[in-house]
Amino acid sequence: MSNPPGLGFFRLVLSNITRRPQRNGATIIAFAIIAASLFSALYLTSGALQSLDAGMTRMGADILVVPEGYSAVAQTVILMGEPSSFFFNDSGFEQISKIPGVAKASPQIFIATLAGQACCSAPVQLIAIDPEHDFTVANWLKENPGVVMGKDDIIVGTMISGDIGSDLLFFGHTFHIVGRLAKTGMMGVDCAIFTRVDDAYVMADESSVKAVRKLTIPRGMVSAVLVKVDPATPPGTVATRIQAQIPGTKTITPNGLLSSVTGQLAAVTHLLYGSTLAVMILSVPLLGFISAMVANERKREVAIFRALGAKKSQVLHLMLAESFTLSVVGGLIGIAAAAVVLVSFQDFIAFSLKIPLNIPSPLTVMMNAGSALIICIGIGGIASLYPALMVNRMEPYETIRKGKP
Amino acid sequence: MIDVSGVTKSYRTQNSEVFAVDNVQFEVRSGDFVMILGRSGCGKSTLLGMLAGLIRPTAGAIRLNGQEIWTLSEADRAGCRAKEIGFVFQFSGLIPTLTALENVMLPTLFLPNGAEGRLKARALLERVRMSDRADAYPMTLSSGEMKRVAIARALINDPSLIIADEPTGDLDVDTEYEIMELFKELNNQGTTIIMVTHNPELVPYATRTYRMDRGKVNTSEPF
Repeated sequence: MSNPPGLGFFRLVLSNITRRPQRNGATIIAFAIIAASLFSALYLTSGALQSLDAGMTRMGADILVVPEGYSAVAQTVILMGEPSSFFFNDSGFEQISKIPGVAKASPQIFIATLAGQACCSAPVQLIAIDPEHDFTVANWLKENPGVVMGKDDIIVGTMISGDIGSDLLFFGHTFHIVGRLAKTGMMGVDCAIFTRVDDAYVMADESSVKAVRKLTIPRGMVSAVLVKVDPATPPGTVATRIQAQIPGTKTITPNGLLSSVTGQLAAVTHLLYGSTLAVMILSVPLLGFISAMVANERKREVAIFRALGAKKSQVLHLMLAESFTLSVVGGLIGIAAAAVVLVSFQDFIAFSLKIPLNIPSPLTVMMNAGSALIICIGIGGIASLYPALMVNRMEPYETIRKGKP
Repeated sequence: MIDVSGVTKSYRTQNSEVFAVDNVQFEVRSGDFVMILGRSGCGKSTLLGMLAGLIRPTAGAIRLNGQEIWTLSEADRAGCRAKEIGFVFQFSGLIPTLTALENVMLPTLFLPNGAEGRLKARALLERVRMSDRADAYPMTLSSGEMKRVAIARALINDPSLIIADEPTGDLDVDTEYEIMELFKELNNQGTTIIMVTHNPELVPYATRTYRMDRGKVNTSEPF
């Protein structure tokens, strides 16, 4: 007959944890709060940066040229999708195309719609493009790829309501949805609607009779020019040339947008990391206090272990293993809860914090979770180490005799 | 088996030095049932703590099977305790989060290859007539039952010596009799036992008895 296994180390750890549910439950909650705070901060930071990266990659442009004085407005349009209308002279576009190092240039006209459209509860950004020169929108198509924009056709961002084939009305002009873009997490792309420049002009002309407010799009003006740089030329060099040769323009590069987002993110991440740090600073002594209480409560138990032949190192391992288990369980619960909230309310969070936000890649999420978990375990270890060492240094036999059964 | 020579434990107070155990020497042979009698506070438990390698003597030497235990490292002393000594405490000393069976198995965790398994623990519980309460937690056991489980636990690693510190101090007369009969049975089977007690009525169970008073053991006056 085989001899079944005896009492294992982990069985001892688990029984010590499960047989003291209230105290250990409180400890697990503390670890869960720490892990959730840490994970949220890491997730939002990486989600925002990856969202920006995805948006810029999909945009396919190395430089965005806008009227001088509208740089910040343009960044708000791109990053947050806050609708705006601004223009500069169309002749700039022709000049940009001829600047050395410019491979492609595509003009865009930004038109802020009115509120209360069928698709959207708030005003959205209409972006009129020239399909002949455009090198961006077609690349972002998720639904109906390869579509060619015809008269009154529009391509909508992922957050715009309306099925492909359905119609949307702007300034009294009816448009037909022919494509939808993949999600970027950047409101400026996800909440935008792309139409042809010619159709935009018709819409503006008809608006005086069809819309409640007349729309004016000055002929010979554009809002921005997207520039694709020749691979052999650094974008920075081309940007400098553009600003030097075409007065009244300002260039925005992805790096510039990144620093803008980083700046916007900084406030949020400082708040998140600050609150996480506060949670950690508070939790270490709190957990240390709980550990000290536990150690004090269990000093007789530890003394019995020692009397029965446990080495000091075995007792230390046992107590640290319990702390490790509690921190892992609490950490995983906190991370899972935070992930559910962050994913479920992603759009609301992005809107509230005014940051572009996408779900980070699985690898990044795992790294975020791993980092949060490791820090959680580290805090647990630090908090429990000193009490464990102290209880291990006590005189075991006296402790046993002073105790009760 | 055990050779105790010149063992002293003293504590310094503000004005003087108090001798809890004062220059004690005696010998325990294999198969003995040694009983050390004395009033509370006479140093009996301190002496047991030193024999078990848990309280460091101020002076003197304790040899267990020829090995001076206080020259060993902490880890080796712990290993020696796990392998050679079974403990029965005044209070049961059971771990409240473990079942009776798991409590019996507990000391096997502290030996390198000591995970003997459940069968041996169950057999020991049967030997102390506790097999029907194997899955019970200590708080549901009576004092006598807890003491039986503690005795089974003391035997799990096949120690050559059992040290019992007032094992019947908290028991009623009937339970005390049961427990002492159990110790007698173990001793008859060859287990060496050192027990301290303040109850002279237990002396007939012992093969050798020493009286302890104010830290000194009177070896010249067998009980």
